[in-house]
Amino acid sequence: MPELRRDTIIGRWVIIAKERGKRPYDFVIEKDKTKGGFCPLCPGNEHTTPPEILAYGRPDYSPNGPGWTLRVVPNKFPALVIEGNLDKRGEGIYDKMNGIGAHEVIIDTPRHDETIPTMSHGQLIQTFWAYRDRMVDLAQDSRFRYIIIFKNFGRAAGASLEHSHSQLIALPIVPHRIQEEIQSSLHYYEFKERCIFCDIIRQEKSQDIRIVCENNDFITICPFAPRSPFEMWLMPKRHQSSYITIDDNQFHSLTDLFLETMRRLDKALPEVPYNYMLHTAPVRSPFLEHYHWHIEIMPKLTMVAGFEWGTGFYINPTPPEESAQFLREINLD
Amino acid sequence: MNKYKILVVDDEESIHLLYKEELEEEGYEVHSAINGEEALKAFDAQEPDLVILDINMPGMDGIEVLRQMKQKKPRVPVILSSAYPEYKQDLASWASDDYIVKSFNLDDLKSSVRRNLTK
Repeated sequence: MPELRRDTIIGRWVIIAKERGKRPYDFVIEKDKTKGGFCPLCPGNEHTTPPEILAYGRPDYSPNGPGWTLRVVPNKFPALVIEGNLDKRGEGIYDKMNGIGAHEVIIDTPRHDETIPTMSHGQLIQTFWAYRDRMVDLAQDSRFRYIIIFKNFGRAAGASLEHSHSQLIALPIVPHRIQEEIQSSLHYYEFKERCIFCDIIRQEKSQDIRIVCENNDFITICPFAPRSPFEMWLMPKRHQSSYITIDDNQFHSLTDLFLETMRRLDKALPEVPYNYMLHTAPVRSPFLEHYHWHIEIMPKLTMVAGFEWGTGFYINPTPPEESAQFLREINLD
Repeated sequence: MNKYKILVVDDEESIHLLYKEELEEEGYEVHSAINGEEALKAFDAQEPDLVILDINMPGMDGIEVLRQMKQKKPRVPVILSSAYPEYKQDLASWASDDYIVKSFNLDDLKSSVRRNLTK
């Protein structure tokens, strides 16, 4: 019989197929055809992007030319604009404000064909540094309340360019999805005086059935009520609410565990399209006892359709215990 | 003085007529193509100074045409023109020099053409 499971943080329900979960080879993954041709993110085409905000790796100061190992540029045609005031106002019962925000693209690597599982530690750590550096810089802007970082990989997950990149959007509001997580975590904290994410890590360690991999500082689990087969959460083991406070040692551990996580996923489901999202505390309240930053990794294996939109439920054909076991038992040698 | 040559690529004939009339009034020489394949041939044969390119076309879409044009001649400005503003956020549109949402008011298009021909 299928099982209804409730996400312990925000209370979202999912339907999990219990009899026989879908194995990785049961999913048909349509691989994107390599398009080649002109790529605005490749070295040599820097003139096609807006002037860069940040770059690592150039031996000399020559912005907007090649020689970089990571580059951050504003979105060429942004949905939200950086200049102007919010001008919050009402129209009867409806609230609105000017579309102020920042939309940036982090070009993870100069190599067009490199993906996260094929990256070196030295390359990927720069992506994590860039996330922090851009967050710290944008947090100084008093108009911004939240900074979300995400990556789309593969056409089915929303990526239109093959060249590996992540995106950052700074918003003048805290998105509802994040508010929900923070409010629910606060509710739990008020009852138990403990962070719910820390408690999840403790329980997962003791049950040991949904852990994918771990090291001294971080852990990757398949959550108890996942929206998608092979959904994973990567979390710091010690309590930490904001990504901007991670230290140098943690950067190395994070890179190691993230690489291992993504290599396991890639070996189980080669070139599967996915999204990952970095959830962290809001800009104006980075230090929260009740909240814990984390990365949610969502392989794109199922369709979100009428039932999901209509109810907020998700149907997941693979129990997380089976997903975790598959991923854990993969030999990466 | 030689006129600037503009190639308009769109599968709708009414757009060709509208753009041709308005742009010729501004003193440009206007050529047309109705699909991606024809556009790439015209790009080689006519050697336009600027291209106005629709995104949604049957067969080869505008993004693919854009990639191939930029591969051949990266410095020729290409203005994407679409009825859908949401495509603007698509990173594939970055290879273009500007993005114009189709409208009966062609002021934005004309100023983008002027700006891109003189930059």
